[in-house]
Amino acid sequence: MIEYVDILLPYITTILLISSIYAIFSLGLNLEWGFTGLINFGHVAFLAIGAYTTVMFNMSGFPLFVSVIAGIVLSGFFGLLLGIPTLRLREDYLAIVTIGFSEVLRFILLNEQWLTRGPFGIHGFGRPLQDVIPYQHYNTFLLILYLVILVIVYFALERLVRSPWGRVLKSIREDEAVSSALGKNVFWYRLQSLMIGSAIAGLAGAMLAFYISYIDPNTFKPIETFHAWIIIILGGTASNKGTIVGALVFCTFLSVTQFINRFLPFTAHQMGAFRMIVIGLLLMILMMYKPEGIFGKKEELALSD
Amino acid sequence: MKMDILSVKDLKKHFDGVKAVDGCSIAIETGTVVGLIGPNGAGKTTMFNLISGFERGIGEIVFKGIRTDNLSPFKIARCGMVRTFQIPRALTKMTVSENLMLAPKTQLGERIWDVWLHPKRVREQEMQIREKSRDILEFFEISHLEGEYAGALSGGQKKLLEMARAMMIDPSMMLLDEPFAGVNPTLARKISRHICELHEDGMTFLVIEHDIPAITKISDRIVVMNEGKIMAEGEPAEIKQRRDVLEVYIGGER
Repeated sequence: MIEYVDILLPYITTILLISSIYAIFSLGLNLEWGFTGLINFGHVAFLAIGAYTTVMFNMSGFPLFVSVIAGIVLSGFFGLLLGIPTLRLREDYLAIVTIGFSEVLRFILLNEQWLTRGPFGIHGFGRPLQDVIPYQHYNTFLLILYLVILVIVYFALERLVRSPWGRVLKSIREDEAVSSALGKNVFWYRLQSLMIGSAIAGLAGAMLAFYISYIDPNTFKPIETFHAWIIIILGGTASNKGTIVGALVFCTFLSVTQFINRFLPFTAHQMGAFRMIVIGLLLMILMMYKPEGIFGKKEELALSD
Repeated sequence: MKMDILSVKDLKKHFDGVKAVDGCSIAIETGTVVGLIGPNGAGKTTMFNLISGFERGIGEIVFKGIRTDNLSPFKIARCGMVRTFQIPRALTKMTVSENLMLAPKTQLGERIWDVWLHPKRVREQEMQIREKSRDILEFFEISHLEGEYAGALSGGQKKLLEMARAMMIDPSMMLLDEPFAGVNPTLARKISRHICELHEDGMTFLVIEHDIPAITKISDRIVVMNEGKIMAEGEPAEIKQRRDVLEVYIGGER
């Protein structure tokens, strides 16, 4: 019995830690897509910028807190840079530019070794209170810290999307012509949404770096962006609560299915593909029977008209 | 002599050789209802798009003394000109109440830092806006729809919603694109009554409409467009007598 607890508790802690990081990462995308209707296929780029900035600032001697803030600000700034040329155009341009940007960025991280150590990755950077917390309890501490951050981000976003500001975002998602006919500066609101969404992804990047204590460019493959999309669709587009639950469900599923291959005649590689097939199937079933997601409102379903 | 709220001089818009609007000039006096009629393809909606900034053309547009021909739609709206669309564009996934509350200009809570720094003032303003939206819903007699999603409304109710939403920004001029089209007669009468009431309060209207009897009843003046040009202009009674206008309409149907 005791042994089970010893194995199970760290395991659950791990799932919750990963879930909380994915939840925050996806909350950023949910602001962009769920509330504003922006199609961002390169969200992972901002995760990478947040992670690398935080880590590199810290390695050059800045305190952790300052490094994290730098990561958040720089992610938001890159959101601004990408938004300025694309957000005046149709939605699909942002999708194309962002997915391109995230891949270009990954190759820069891979090739500019003088800056990022390329494929060798970076480790040995500081983690929050690592000298104070005993090593065996460190993940528990990190989990508590991350849950606190998640709660703060959640309530911050809830306040925003329920404010008149959020109402303008939703109106842009529905029909930007109406928003501008009513005197709203559509471009500026889209830009704000992209900047904040990217900054939140940057925060998630810093959290990811602290948790895995090692980052390399392959941590930031395009699939991470689509994981966030799955989480949002699963949980319910335009629902922050749904996004958090979606992250939990998704991460639990990914993790638990790692054990199933004991019962299935698959190699590890095949198992990875099999998991994606199952996820795809589940999403299809979800779309057929509950297209608005777990917590989404049917009336606000952003996928149909 | 009243002032002109809107004056359009020699406005042109060509789409690949098609002269949608071809040198139109209109002056609209403050507080009047002007009907804009003409056969399909005459350029009426393009004219609307140009005036409201949704399309760029050549020519001069002056609204309340401000050159607006180079301004974005949202800036023109902030000057106090609001338009509706031919096919009603309710924000279907938002409630009727949200649709209305979206509209007012300079809301404190539309600025992200004020949402954080002045939550109390934002809340107070929200309450004022909600009250105002209720008054306007009452005026348009759609109070019972307040909590409904706009997507659940009928076509005619959506037209009322659009007008109600437009009223929320306290406009000095409204551009209505076919307010009576596809609306049942009872509702059409209601809409025209609302236009008349707002007119009495001093609102200026420019109204595109195909329903000639309805538009002549509510208008002070009628402008007739055909093939991108203004072919006639005058009092409703006078326009109704014009043979060339009638011919254009009958000919335009074929």
